[in-house]
Amino acid sequence: MDKAAKSSKTARGTVACDNTTLHLLKANDFVAESIRKRMAENNIMLINITSSAGSGKTTLLQETARRISGKVKMKILVGDLETERDADRLRQTGVDALQIVTGGICHLEAQMIWQAMESLNLDGVELLIVENVGNLVCPASFDLGEDYRVTLLATTEGDDKPKKYPRMFLTSELMLVSKSDLLPYLPFSVEAVVADARDVNPNIDVMQISSTTGEGIDQWCNWLLDKVKEKQEAANVVAAQ
Amino acid sequence: MHEISLARSILNTLEAEFSSEQLGQLTEIGLKVGLLSNVEPALMQNAFEAVTTTENRFQQVVLKIETVPIVIYCEACDARSTIANYKFACSSCGQPNNNIVSGTELLIHQVRFE
Repeated sequence: MDKAAKSSKTARGTVACDNTTLHLLKANDFVAESIRKRMAENNIMLINITSSAGSGKTTLLQETARRISGKVKMKILVGDLETERDADRLRQTGVDALQIVTGGICHLEAQMIWQAMESLNLDGVELLIVENVGNLVCPASFDLGEDYRVTLLATTEGDDKPKKYPRMFLTSELMLVSKSDLLPYLPFSVEAVVADARDVNPNIDVMQISSTTGEGIDQWCNWLLDKVKEKQEAANVVAAQ
Repeated sequence: MHEISLARSILNTLEAEFSSEQLGQLTEIGLKVGLLSNVEPALMQNAFEAVTTTENRFQQVVLKIETVPIVIYCEACDARSTIANYKFACSSCGQPNNNIVSGTELLIHQVRFE
């Protein structure tokens, strides 16, 4: 930005910035809006999947790709601090996956998605899933331009997480209680976790899933397919107008 | 947490907004941090010091952090409630509500020049 475009405020005394929106995440939010626009133009449903490390995001996406990649054209972006391991695992299911290595950054930012999209052929893609860095804190604050945010909470993590990490659950549309096959062995109350999540976010949907036994996976896949359809129908309505 | 990158983003934001001449007279930055912003004021303060010292800019500037509580607005009651214990409900009618009007802030609300 050149100097002429900068504020001409007198450099004396106190300057209130309420009207200048010096929002620290504005650069991220600006890129997120550009992504949202591009996704809308191309009718791509963008899903941001978040959770703690080790809650089963990649395993769920492997299972998801096996079940629906024949029904919908999907691609996956996966973020980690280091290694290509997750993208390798996802590619084994036949789905096109690209690894974003953040190099120590604890979350994905919109700019990383924008750059990754340059290397990903999005022609005909209907569903783009972003698997975020495993972390319930920082990724909550970074809008990636997604249509929906889905947060996994594994039964092994304990049922007290929604109130410990409120912003993540507040900004998610769907909570997946994962590793439900382990419920008989754990002091984890699904009822308590749902009540806590709804204290934070009254509108959050909940599904109980297990990538091992397959419980809830059909319901989850159908949810995804419905969202893809929802976006395409919304685009048709706009096009007809 | 990402306090270091946020500290950098404070400096970059100000550099985009004000001229270097103006910034030479900057003495204080007022930051509003909502309870939902996932930013820890003490860590933010340390991060700001670390960045200004290592990058040798804005070293004369004091960062003042104000924490903002979570407040929701209930349309039915036309009432604002401050949220405690992350139970998002209207304190007047008790209905679940997450129509947040403040508490997610992460912004520079005031700067002071000498």
